[in-house]
Amino acid sequence: MRPITQNWTPTEADNMKMKRLLCMALVLPLLYLSSCTEEIDTDQWDQLRVAPTLTASILYLESTETLINASPGNEFYAQTLGFEPFSEPYVAERLVEGSITYELENTTSKPLSITLEYLDADGNVLDTELFVVPAQPTPVLVREVNYGTTGKPLSILLNTTEIRVSALNLGDNSSVSPEPDPKVKFRTAAEFTINLKEG
Amino acid sequence: MRYTFVCIGLLFGLLGYGQNRQLLYDFREIPQSNLVNPGVAIPHDWYVGVPLLSNIAINAGSNGVSVYDIFAEDGVDINDKIREKMVFGMGIKDELSGRFHIDLINFGFKSKKDPSLFFSGGMYLDGDAIGYWPADWALLGFEGNADYIGKRFDLDHIKTRGEFTNVFHFGVNKQWKPNLIVGARAKIYSGIFNFSSTNNSGYFVTTEGERNILASTLVADAIIRSSGIDELLDDANEDQIGSILTKRALFGGNLGFGVDLGFTYYLDQQTTFTASLLDLGFMYNNTDVKSFSLKGSSTVEGVEIILPDALQDPDADFWQDLIDRVEEEIPFEEKNSGYITFRPTILNASIRRDWGQIGDRVASCDCDWRTNGGGDTKTMYANAVGAHVYAINRPRGPQTAWTLFYQRNITTGFSLKATYTADKFTYTNVGVGMSLKLGPVQAYVLADNLLAYRNYADTNYASLQLGVNVLSWAK
Repeated sequence: MRPITQNWTPTEADNMKMKRLLCMALVLPLLYLSSCTEEIDTDQWDQLRVAPTLTASILYLESTETLINASPGNEFYAQTLGFEPFSEPYVAERLVEGSITYELENTTSKPLSITLEYLDADGNVLDTELFVVPAQPTPVLVREVNYGTTGKPLSILLNTTEIRVSALNLGDNSSVSPEPDPKVKFRTAAEFTINLKEG
Repeated sequence: MRYTFVCIGLLFGLLGYGQNRQLLYDFREIPQSNLVNPGVAIPHDWYVGVPLLSNIAINAGSNGVSVYDIFAEDGVDINDKIREKMVFGMGIKDELSGRFHIDLINFGFKSKKDPSLFFSGGMYLDGDAIGYWPADWALLGFEGNADYIGKRFDLDHIKTRGEFTNVFHFGVNKQWKPNLIVGARAKIYSGIFNFSSTNNSGYFVTTEGERNILASTLVADAIIRSSGIDELLDDANEDQIGSILTKRALFGGNLGFGVDLGFTYYLDQQTTFTASLLDLGFMYNNTDVKSFSLKGSSTVEGVEIILPDALQDPDADFWQDLIDRVEEEIPFEEKNSGYITFRPTILNASIRRDWGQIGDRVASCDCDWRTNGGGDTKTMYANAVGAHVYAINRPRGPQTAWTLFYQRNITTGFSLKATYTADKFTYTNVGVGMSLKLGPVQAYVLADNLLAYRNYADTNYASLQLGVNVLSWAK
């Protein structure tokens, strides 16, 4: 083996070897940079769709039977609520479809109805949901309403800025339920898909 | 232009990983090996790096997924590939990160008064960033929470940091004893920009509600901080990007201080143990600071109307009250106060055995090539084999890489080095480096993960370093 020394004097063969090595030194980086790459198609990115389905509760209304009995007339509650989660620009631009689940539980001694009216910014009624439940004992009323391609127009949700809630007593004002702590409970939750990236 | 720059600056951190410079480490024939061990044995009298070309190092990779995994023309829907390989295939320890290093000025020279001393200095641009795969939030982003009732989406999964810095350095390397070389380097960091979000905790979870159908809970203690980015993105500064960057690179931005330490210890004539600790330092980020924090906890079950209590205020805006309550319970705050970040400290250590027919000494005299007299330890051998371990401090704890290497010094001016490295990115990282000196000009190229040459798009890691120096071997 040739010793490594500063005083080394190259022979002709060494010169040839050096030239070959020099060529390798120059070519290798180029080879590295232009190395083989199997065919890829970055245009596939355009087909990527990111559309999560999110869910959350929307509205909860609860009333005691005592209040219902004490309310003059049939209507024991009426209120217009600001409600803009779907009309917020970020959501409105991306909302694809959705559904709202309603649950109405009645343990009072009288039949009741709850009406939800979806209102736009001008106060126009875009949609109405009416729920009627008999007096207890009665199972929980469950309804799921779809919006989008398989249900009601999505524009109802997109344009809703307020919800008008009204609750009616369809029975008397004196009976008392045998249930402990009788109440009416109205639950709602929304499930909606938003398009973060269109495929 | 500014977006291009800022995007490059930010995206280099989203494209790869790799600060390990195992090919350069203890490759003594390359002057820049001094940068990864200030206590390296330096066989030169002096060297000057060609400005901007003395050391260009770019590392890229990802241990979780490759470009080919996603974009291969395999007939599989990209949505399925991303779900399978990323959303459900990657974990919080998978990372996307990278680094680049460009020497602007690099020089070194042996002291005339005391030949046991070798001084070096220079300036380089350094960019480093890491982003761990935010597994839970990627799942939430792709799938949503509807099918994940009860699952906690952990804020700790969000961990990222990065910076772009101009580094001024000056170091000294001393032959302390015949068998010991020590070195130290002081660094001043002139920061250009920084971003950091590494200490987040809390979660978002959707559960069955107590009253309503569902309850949404957010518990958060999260902060994201940036320095120097907003100004670059401001439209008003479009024509001043160059001057802003120059100013910041020359002590007009964030400032920090750090040191490198290292040594080479000869266990015997042919066996060497080396170690170095790099970037033990910090940066005070006070330029163009933006900090956003979210701290608190809140559970909501939608707008709640509980009668008869709700009748007390007939004008109540329940929807706005709900928003106000959440904002009060989890305040989102913006601050502009400075903050300190620590540099990603690197530890290197290696053991090396030189062999081969012991030739004449490198120096023409019968003397030590460094000190004009001393032991027999500095003879240049034809072969060297050894092992190298590397560790870097990362937000999720130290990362290590283990390397076996073989170096062949064919002549004093031509050396080859081959490495095999195993780390979290790949177990098949074979690298090759060469150093070639023609007259006073020395050039080198170091390339990693050559097996990926077969299909570069399918690699999880890539690294390339090259440089040109003018130098003089020790006489």
